[in-house]
Amino acid sequence: MAIESDVLVIGGGLAGMMSALAAAEEGASVRLISYKQSTLRQASGLIDLLGYLPGEQRPVVSPYEAIGALPAEHPYAILGVDRVRAAMDRFDTTVGYDGGGAERNTLVATHAGGYKPTFRTPQSVTPGALADGGAMLLVGFDPITDFDAPFAAAMLTEAGVPFEVHGETLPFPIEQASDAGIGRFAALIEEDPAVPATGRTLRESIATAIGAVLGEAERVGVPAILGTQESASIIAELEAALGVPVFEVPMGPPSLLGSRLEAELHAALDRAGVSMELGNPVVDADADARISTVYVEKNHAQIPYAASEYVLATGGLVGKGVGSDRSQVHEPVFGCHIPHPADRSDWYDDDVFGAHPFARFGVRVGGDLRPQTADGAIEYQNLRAAGSVIGGADFAKEKSGSGISIATGVAAGTAAAEEAA
Amino acid sequence: MERTPHIVVIGGGSTGIGVARDLALRGVEVTLVEQGNLTHGTTGRMHGLLHSGGRYAVADQASAIECIEENRILREIAGHCVEMTGGLFVKRPEDPEEYFQEKLAGCRECGIPAEVISGAEARQMEPHLAKDVEKAITVPDGAIDPFRLVVANAVDAQDHGARIETHTRVTDLLVEGGAVVGIEVEHGVDTPGTVIGEDSGTERIYADHVINATGAWAGRIGEMAGVDIAVRPSKGVMTVMNIRQVDTVINRCRPKGDADIIVPHETAAILGTTDVEVDDPEEYPEEQWEVDLMIDTLAELVPMLREARTIRSFWGVRPLYEPPEVASEDPTDITRDFFLLDHADRDDLPGLTSIVGGKLTTYRQMAETIADHVCAKFDIDAPCVTAERPLPGSGDFTLMRDYMEEFGLRSPIGRRSAERLGSRADEVLETDGPNPTICACEAVTRAELQDAIGQAGSDLNAVRIRTRSSMGNCQGGFCAHRMANELSKATDPMTTEAAWDDLLAERWRGQRHALWGEHLSQVMLNYAMQAATQCRDTAGAASAGTDFGAFRGVGPTVPTDQAGREPAHGD
Amino acid sequence: MSDAEQPGFAPTQPNTGTEFEPVQVFPEVTDSDLRSGADSCYKCSTCDVNCPVAAVDDSFPGPKFQGPEQWRLHQRDEEHEIDDSIMSCSNCMRCDNACPSGVPLSQMHNTARAEYVSEQMSHRSVEYWRNRLLSNYRLSAWAASKAPRVANWMLNFGPARQLLEATLGITAEREFPAFATETFRRWWQRRGGAAASRARAVAARRRQGLDPDADKKVAYFHGCYSNYNTPEVGRALVRVYEHFGYEVVVPKQGCSGTPMFANGMIDDAARHKDRTLEGFTPKLDAGYDVIASCTSCSMALRQEYPELFEDAGVDALAGRTYEGIEYLRIHEDLPGALAEAEAPADFPDAFAYHAPCHARNQGLARQAVELFRHLEGVTIEDVGESCSGISGTYGWKQEKYEVSMQIGEDMFEHMHDAAGTTGMTECPTCAMQMEHGTSYPIRHPLELLAAVLTD
Repeated sequence: MAIESDVLVIGGGLAGMMSALAAAEEGASVRLISYKQSTLRQASGLIDLLGYLPGEQRPVVSPYEAIGALPAEHPYAILGVDRVRAAMDRFDTTVGYDGGGAERNTLVATHAGGYKPTFRTPQSVTPGALADGGAMLLVGFDPITDFDAPFAAAMLTEAGVPFEVHGETLPFPIEQASDAGIGRFAALIEEDPAVPATGRTLRESIATAIGAVLGEAERVGVPAILGTQESASIIAELEAALGVPVFEVPMGPPSLLGSRLEAELHAALDRAGVSMELGNPVVDADADARISTVYVEKNHAQIPYAASEYVLATGGLVGKGVGSDRSQVHEPVFGCHIPHPADRSDWYDDDVFGAHPFARFGVRVGGDLRPQTADGAIEYQNLRAAGSVIGGADFAKEKSGSGISIATGVAAGTAAAEEAA
Repeated sequence: MERTPHIVVIGGGSTGIGVARDLALRGVEVTLVEQGNLTHGTTGRMHGLLHSGGRYAVADQASAIECIEENRILREIAGHCVEMTGGLFVKRPEDPEEYFQEKLAGCRECGIPAEVISGAEARQMEPHLAKDVEKAITVPDGAIDPFRLVVANAVDAQDHGARIETHTRVTDLLVEGGAVVGIEVEHGVDTPGTVIGEDSGTERIYADHVINATGAWAGRIGEMAGVDIAVRPSKGVMTVMNIRQVDTVINRCRPKGDADIIVPHETAAILGTTDVEVDDPEEYPEEQWEVDLMIDTLAELVPMLREARTIRSFWGVRPLYEPPEVASEDPTDITRDFFLLDHADRDDLPGLTSIVGGKLTTYRQMAETIADHVCAKFDIDAPCVTAERPLPGSGDFTLMRDYMEEFGLRSPIGRRSAERLGSRADEVLETDGPNPTICACEAVTRAELQDAIGQAGSDLNAVRIRTRSSMGNCQGGFCAHRMANELSKATDPMTTEAAWDDLLAERWRGQRHALWGEHLSQVMLNYAMQAATQCRDTAGAASAGTDFGAFRGVGPTVPTDQAGREPAHGD
Repeated sequence: MSDAEQPGFAPTQPNTGTEFEPVQVFPEVTDSDLRSGADSCYKCSTCDVNCPVAAVDDSFPGPKFQGPEQWRLHQRDEEHEIDDSIMSCSNCMRCDNACPSGVPLSQMHNTARAEYVSEQMSHRSVEYWRNRLLSNYRLSAWAASKAPRVANWMLNFGPARQLLEATLGITAEREFPAFATETFRRWWQRRGGAAASRARAVAARRRQGLDPDADKKVAYFHGCYSNYNTPEVGRALVRVYEHFGYEVVVPKQGCSGTPMFANGMIDDAARHKDRTLEGFTPKLDAGYDVIASCTSCSMALRQEYPELFEDAGVDALAGRTYEGIEYLRIHEDLPGALAEAEAPADFPDAFAYHAPCHARNQGLARQAVELFRHLEGVTIEDVGESCSGISGTYGWKQEKYEVSMQIGEDMFEHMHDAAGTTGMTECPTCAMQMEHGTSYPIRHPLELLAAVLTD
């Protein structure tokens, strides 16, 4: 006895979700099992296709063109630019991000004063694009320590952005315990309570305070804390009060932009009829040349799930789809081969931002996205891989993580559904 | 001498700083120069052990006696730098019974309080000890924070008129008429921005006497004066665990060997160590086998170490010295006793005294010896008071307070701050505005960081060692940028960025040796945050000249309304 | 503490508590050392963002602080103090689910809370005794069941409630749930107990063409609530299981301990655990699986028991306890059965469903919604991912009432927006909160199953 479906996707991150969506849209019955919430919540919420070629210092302007220059083991090279483009088209129709159909990267400010090439942005981020546009005011809030607006503005100026940019730090209008978390600020902004002794609501107070320092600025950037579900209307309200576009600066973990993207994808999966189970890991499998059943562990019990085709989208070192100990690197669910140097002192570069081999650890796949053994044979006939569990790319340096997840996810899901039919 | 002599001390480790404090308290004029941050040398890379002397009680009883005496003194005068964890010498079945008895007898002979307890009793104290530990000897080992200790000494010295200069490198010793008369230095080396003392420039500092307290670098300084000081530096690894698996210092009760001690220190347990002679105290191989040896061997005492997470490993270089005629082959045979080398007697070169050998636990006594020596030379009749006077921060303070009520801090955070700041806690933690936590792993608030910046300048590593910010389990992944944000309020953006990069580089240096399991996942997350989200790797000079206009922008500005906005134009 | 030994297939450690065997430092005190749980923590704060209490209460620092940070700072010395904010944690356990790395957050919180209550909270304080009273709901319910109508009247009598709030700090804002005139266990006895169930099960097997002696047997953990307040849920479960040919037994059992863990009353929980093991271990030995209709009960037996207790029978119980509908999904073709059935005549056909936090942790957040897709004529809408806010005894405390209502606001709004005016959920206290915020009546999914599949 097992819980059955045509396609079983293991891992509910961006790759797993796109994979499940693609498979469902091909008509397969799809179940998605995820041990944890997706790492989208730790990432900026931007969709990076390809920001930097390996070894290059200048950001890529046209990622589809640059794909041709990637090494052969890179997932984009394995897929071919046509499949990458098709996957991005599917993303564009699924999620309401800006830039749909565009071929060039945009540049956005990071909360640490850097600038980042990215391919698709949520609507709340877009007006902050650095390629052009009017004078910019960045606003930080005390005591939110992750974003120092004056410092970020100074670094952007030094980087040579083609407009004036200034930064101001304002006290958050409602006094909080000094270790209140990002979630708390976002919840308050969404709730919009009255600010004691002012006769104004929180958002009105924020608008007023920003208005007082707006000066000549033609757009205003704030850290990405503008609510969790109603950010669009919150932004509209601020823009109406200030008379200029308002944008969010993506932050690191916890990333509200990432959570919002995750919610949007869950809604799409729901509409597509995908069954989802979150909270328990796949720990075992019955398999020979094909996988017949996998076992999900709930405390001490093991629940069987069976499918015709499986997609492994368990993530890389962060998502724990790639594990390691002092002497080896492994893939913990099915034991797929992960190429790596035998000596762990060869796993890293001495420079903190050097070319780290560990950043490229993952399973090796061919054009069919099926993981291969050390000899190049197929591990399991009905298993495909998607996302950062696939090796061969340093997504952090390249700024390519979400693109790889989307492209390989769609390809794997589509192929799995076709096989299962 | 009618006027007060001016003494120059080279070396800002525990010895040098201890000398500066001692002399300053005796009213002598002191200038101390240090090429890096205070504790740059061996002091900043020691194990954190406040010796009871037990480790020397069999083979080096002179050292052992010095240790127990100083142990008692430091507990009193350096209370906020010391945690009296207690220590155990544990015996496994394969460890020689004879040695166990020798150790016990040796402790007693040296006046080190020692009791025998059973394996069961030892496991009651330390539940993670291996089940087959048979018995143990209790001794009064403790944990000491060398950074805090040295900073406190420096503050006291400065309060009594001493001049301290960090990031100041000695480029030459000035010799005139066959005597050392001073030093030539370059200020502001190896650091962005502001430091303690002068930020830049060269200077000749004249002195009535120069003390060479440079530890493993003693030979280099000697060369500048043409004297030979044969220091035999020997490296040792220390592996830092993510948590404190033990709250007591655990020593292996067997004849000296590698990987025989675990020292709890702040929020971590530190495994040590190896003993390999090296040629250069600055450049030596950091080898994987040393880390593996620590884990595998010490897992015999505390089995959970085998699978536990390490967050970094670092190496320290012992400044070993033995008189040339002894000529030991095995560096582990070299005594840990210290030697005062009066170059007037030894090398016909007055004006210079070197102090070599020794260990941190006896720093105060070493300093007293040198200070006595200097005072004798100049007929100064001032007694040493360093054993009685508490260090700044170690005055009366209590950890049992309502931190929320007093400072608006949660009790574990307030407590950690107070442990670090000691009697300065009130002064530092009373703030006007919000006081957010910057480093959550080690409970460091904005107030503490700004205080450290005020003391140490713009070197974030100097700030780090004072506050422990970025020394916790994420190793700066989540707080390095916050620390930079705090620093940006005190200095210019370029200095801040350089300091930030230095901090990241320093944190990476130790984490390279912890890249497996949970910590490899942490490092990958840190890398993803810092490169993909923050784009720290491409900031600044790295990618100057980016053509912003070539990228997709906002497009022609469109008025927005409440109903929505125009999406950015594609191309 | 044994040397860690890797089993053959050991991916990331699930939050099962099996990896973090609590180390009994002093056997007479429940003082376990969970510092090594901090080894998995990346400091990403995802737990904090998912914490419903931290989102509305800025004085609550969140799970990361309560768990790995405080534990990492924890030392053996007696002066170490647990921050009293631990009592603001509602034990909804969403943090476990949120953690990308497998930090045993709720285990750390439960253990710290137990230590706080035992070492730092004054046992003479009103707070202590109020919490104890609320935790030992079973006791109050047992007393009330002796005279349910009187109890119902008294417990909702205005002045009595005001007094209760003024003296003990039990909020007067909420309506006390009604006590049933006949408890589930009484109904079970009256109906003929295990023997009657067996007879019905055999009959059902025959009807379906199964072997009459098929090995289909389950032991039901009903929980305090299904026994004293909503026996209709228990009755529904029994009917559904017998319909599928299962013989049901109802062994001697205690409270699952859920409210006791949340209040740091581990000793009280331990007493009830003993009683439950007494009743269920023989059944487990005889090959019965255990099912529960309340998702907090199944959560407690599956997760908190093995994390906090070391008794011999605990692992066996944890390994073979299932949620009531989950078990049927694994062993029967529920979707098939529903596809062939019709919407029930005298039963609501549109529900606003709320997934309890404790169901979420068992991977069951979407179970009801996805299952009833197969039933034509009935609409189930999910009212969102938020916590209901009541979290058991938490929302009953006068000082936590406001916070609990703020947390639940999102859910109330979505319930009003959803079609239908009936709520649905597996957790009795979520049901209380849903009703309190919207006045909707609330049903258990098992009741819908029973209405559809049985007569």
